[in-house]
Amino acid sequence: MPREVDPSLNEKQFVTQALEENLRLDGREFDQYRPLELTFGEQYGVADVTLGKTRILAKATAEVTVPYADRPLDGIFTIATELSPMTSPSFEVNRPTETEVLLSRLLEKTVRRSGALDTESLCLVAGQKCWSVRVDVHALSHDGNLTDAACLAVVAALRHFRKPDTSMDAGVLTVYTPAEREPVPLSWLHSPFCVTWSFFGEEGETAVLDATWLEEQVRVGSCTVSLNRHGEICQIAKLGGTPVNAVVLLQCTGVALAKVKEFDELVDRRLTEDLKRRDKGGFMAELRAENDR
Amino acid sequence: MTTTAAAPEAALGVLPRADGSANYSHAGYTVTGSVNGPIEAQRRDEHAYEAHVDVVIRPAAGVGGTRERHLESILQSSLTQLILVKNFPRCLVQIVLQVEDSPENDYVNTKLVQASLNFAIMPALMQTAVLALLSAGVPMRATATATAIAVMRQEEGAPTLVVDPSTRAIETAQSAHVLAFTSHGGLLLAESEGDFTVKEWDSVYDTAREICCRSAPTKEGMEMVLDEEATRGPDMRQFLQSTMEAKVAKDLHWK
Amino acid sequence: MPLDTSTYNLALLRVDGRRWNELRRVHAQIRTQAAADGSSYLEMGHTKVMCVVTGPTEPGPRRGGAAAGGAGGGGVGSGGAGGKAEIVVGIVIAGFSSVDRKRYGRGDKRTLELASTVSNALAASLHTNLFPHSQINISLHVLSQDGSLLAALINAATLACVDAGIPMTDYVAACTAGSTSTYAANDEGADPLLDLNHQEEQELPGLTVATLGNSDRVAVLVCESRVQISRLEGMLAVGVDGCKQMREILDRVVREKGVRMIQEGTVEKGVGLGDIDMD
Repeated sequence: MPREVDPSLNEKQFVTQALEENLRLDGREFDQYRPLELTFGEQYGVADVTLGKTRILAKATAEVTVPYADRPLDGIFTIATELSPMTSPSFEVNRPTETEVLLSRLLEKTVRRSGALDTESLCLVAGQKCWSVRVDVHALSHDGNLTDAACLAVVAALRHFRKPDTSMDAGVLTVYTPAEREPVPLSWLHSPFCVTWSFFGEEGETAVLDATWLEEQVRVGSCTVSLNRHGEICQIAKLGGTPVNAVVLLQCTGVALAKVKEFDELVDRRLTEDLKRRDKGGFMAELRAENDR
Repeated sequence: MTTTAAAPEAALGVLPRADGSANYSHAGYTVTGSVNGPIEAQRRDEHAYEAHVDVVIRPAAGVGGTRERHLESILQSSLTQLILVKNFPRCLVQIVLQVEDSPENDYVNTKLVQASLNFAIMPALMQTAVLALLSAGVPMRATATATAIAVMRQEEGAPTLVVDPSTRAIETAQSAHVLAFTSHGGLLLAESEGDFTVKEWDSVYDTAREICCRSAPTKEGMEMVLDEEATRGPDMRQFLQSTMEAKVAKDLHWK
Repeated sequence: MPLDTSTYNLALLRVDGRRWNELRRVHAQIRTQAAADGSSYLEMGHTKVMCVVTGPTEPGPRRGGAAAGGAGGGGVGSGGAGGKAEIVVGIVIAGFSSVDRKRYGRGDKRTLELASTVSNALAASLHTNLFPHSQINISLHVLSQDGSLLAALINAATLACVDAGIPMTDYVAACTAGSTSTYAANDEGADPLLDLNHQEEQELPGLTVATLGNSDRVAVLVCESRVQISRLEGMLAVGVDGCKQMREILDRVVREKGVRMIQEGTVEKGVGLGDIDMD
């Protein structure tokens, strides 16, 4: 596949010099995100995140399978991040690049290992039947900061998702189709979000949030912090790059917490809006009538 | 003849970084396509005299399997016919089609993790690919339009044809067909599944041709046009043309 | 087996009898493989790592070449663009390295992530711009795992690069830090811990830090467990301090080896290969 084109020396210098003068090419503040938009699809569990020109689509699905032998009481939860040539022609099908491996590890650590989804609640019959929840992350357009957008999309998709309702009757497991019973949401414990800092300058003294693709190509290092709104760090990844003063890193984590709270609010707001849209005069209206009595 | 779907919708140039892109939704399917090309081909795909057309179909959920590969190969051979491949020797035209949404059957709990696409999605894929190619400005011999038709056989009497069948209709249908026509009216692609008679196929062909390459309804009065639209279902070629016209008009608005 | 942390409060001693700010025994050697350009062997407690450096050499036929580490190891490169040497790191984790035998495949994402981290961490310290259009191959072999794996890998790779005589700014020294009591409890009395072993790594929140030389500048910071944000500062401070201790240990290893080589007459005193510093 064709290699990704490196920016020219002039371009690189332009970006770095502008940053030295506290300017970004798109006129943003250093700690400002590009316009962030989150929409949900017609089906449950489809989230579309647009961050500037970066666009991610995440789709959550569930099916009943057999649990792993070594974890009979846990359901299965996987996040699939395969970057297609749609993202950039330099990605090839079935050959993971470093970007893809690091992205998938980050999402894995942020969402899965931090226990955001209660996998024990996915168990139906111990050792025999469980739900397997899978989130597919599709990067439609890559203009920098895939990580933050992808993480937001995954969390939003999972929180929006409804799995078919089930019941156990005398040892017989019934899975109801959407026509028989309204699907139920997943048991969700906390919402972690990624915030990625990019560092510029000789000693990485300039820290910038939400880098564009051009900025990503020029940066000397990056650090991704995953937090939830309760101030719990789920993961920090500064995988090499120019060494940055420890104090700067601590400050970055503090700012990240504020950003995470904004993300959390955004997701909550969009979810309520979507719920209202779906329930126009329907189920919720009926319930409300009962409550009024 | 019955149709089950509303009018198709499309947008061009939706992805900023690809050479060309399109988003198309019709009959419950939403597909986003991107085209990059002509770009440098890899050694193994390189052809000395013509461009290699690479089609990648990605399901919304789960990993692509043999069915996706099958659809890819069908599209690949059809699109190679359309694109002027001889103009770009040793190059690659890469088409990625990402399925975003497909109609769900509320009455069955499908196994979604192993993705499986079926015939009904073919028209959406074809239309998206053509629109994305147009948006990328890849030289083509002709454009193409496609449609899917299911044949439902009644107990007695003539079989009914369902255009753009739902997943449920496909399951119950005797046979399902996908036909694509070029803008010159030539038959580009015909794939059939199930059992059917030659006579049935003929009527399927006539219906598909009617939908795909009806000439623009300009000759008659306004009422006639409206009337026709109602009875004859979507007119794919007309749609393709108007989408392109709208996009060009928008792009050249400043002039 | 859950780690019993209740006894810590009684004697302030950890499961292996260390105090909170003590490193495990570190044993390191350089120039272990006579044939290689640079090599090292490092033990941090029961974590044992071997490293071989080849290069800077002419790059192989494929740029960004996969798998430098031989069978079973993924190769990940960094740099290479423009006039810089590419650092290709391959990590092979032996199947017998942990308690339960496990095969680590070629595409194991965790191993690839480790390789990418080591590569990017060293790229910041090595003067790769002195070797344009060349490649530095670093093969790391994990013989035994008992926590702090990433730290051991970085330390071993640093030592091997010193041995290979590749010019670098300073040592990249790494170690881990943790915190007593799990993430759920928000007690302020939790003590930071230095250099976690496998058991502690499983049960307690922890992070891996690598710093450049004696400075407070952090090259690598990896945290993979849930922890309160307030706990980070303490852990980071202990970690950075541990890195400084680690740097002294690595420096001592290099100096001792240099002195021995002069005594054995391998090198003449005062001739000085670039990599041997003898004051």
